[in-house]
Amino acid sequence: MSPYWEEDEEADDGADSMVRPYTITAGRTAPERDDFTLITLLTTVSEPVDAYGAPARPGRLQPEHRMILGRCRTPAAVAEVAADLDLPVSVTKILLGDLVEQGLLTARAPLSVARASGGADRGLLAAVREGLRRL
Amino acid sequence: MTTTQAGAAAVKILIAGGFGVGKTTLVGAVSEVAPLRTEEYLTTASVGVDDLSGVDQKTTTTVALDFGRITVSPELVVYLFGTPGQERFWFMWNDLVNGALGGVVIADTRRLESSFASIDFFESRTIPFVVAINCFHGVNTRSDDEIRAALDLDPHVPMLVGDVRDRTFGRDVLLALVDHLMALPVG
Repeated sequence: MSPYWEEDEEADDGADSMVRPYTITAGRTAPERDDFTLITLLTTVSEPVDAYGAPARPGRLQPEHRMILGRCRTPAAVAEVAADLDLPVSVTKILLGDLVEQGLLTARAPLSVARASGGADRGLLAAVREGLRRL
Repeated sequence: MTTTQAGAAAVKILIAGGFGVGKTTLVGAVSEVAPLRTEEYLTTASVGVDDLSGVDQKTTTTVALDFGRITVSPELVVYLFGTPGQERFWFMWNDLVNGALGGVVIADTRRLESSFASIDFFESRTIPFVVAINCFHGVNTRSDDEIRAALDLDPHVPMLVGDVRDRTFGRDVLLALVDHLMALPVG
């Protein structure tokens, strides 16, 4: 016999949209860390270890957390994860923060291209140019 | 398609312009995936003049944006974000505009005025941009000089005319932006 919550999901096709987004985050409306951007790239850690080097035993994960770990086996941006989960960016950032904190996901900040700090690096622009030419 | 490696980094380019000028079409023409859509909650705070409680009135709006992706190398991904049609939303959305490599403003010759706000936005934020004139209909009755004058474009801002459904045109627009960025003085 399947647990009652699975039956509920099957019974209601529109179940996703009926869940208020911040229910998934256990009521949290802001991420613990605010350094995620739309294009911060996330990668699932293949063999996560805890602070003592032993294999990590993740805490309680929501289905959305597991979906993120599956999705980020190839690096994906915050915006892509949000689009795949069909959740607002701010809600997605909270879930991503949980996983980074547990050492299950790594985050890579976008490259700095601010004009104030000298603008984009020439090597970066050359690489972008080369990639675009192949389109 | 190139596979992205762990440790890869990303940059973004903003695709702006008035409602219905072809932002998502251009993103779709050059993206390696069908344009994705994501949403964000934005909160605007406004103080009412007759608000005696001292509590700001806050309104939450959901804003959607479409984006695409070009993996230029295993280490580098370019994301293209079509900005929401109404500029008042992206003024509130710092994460969308901060750290952008540059922008593309798409304009339609039949209603150039719908793209004025996008040009103003990039100019005020000193985000380098190029202008893509979209001719869906294939007929462009105005000369480039007329369009430049109507848009009040600085002479150094590149402008290209074409069809945003065309992948080659989309690529050329993005290449023009990169060339423009490379030509800018450092600092």
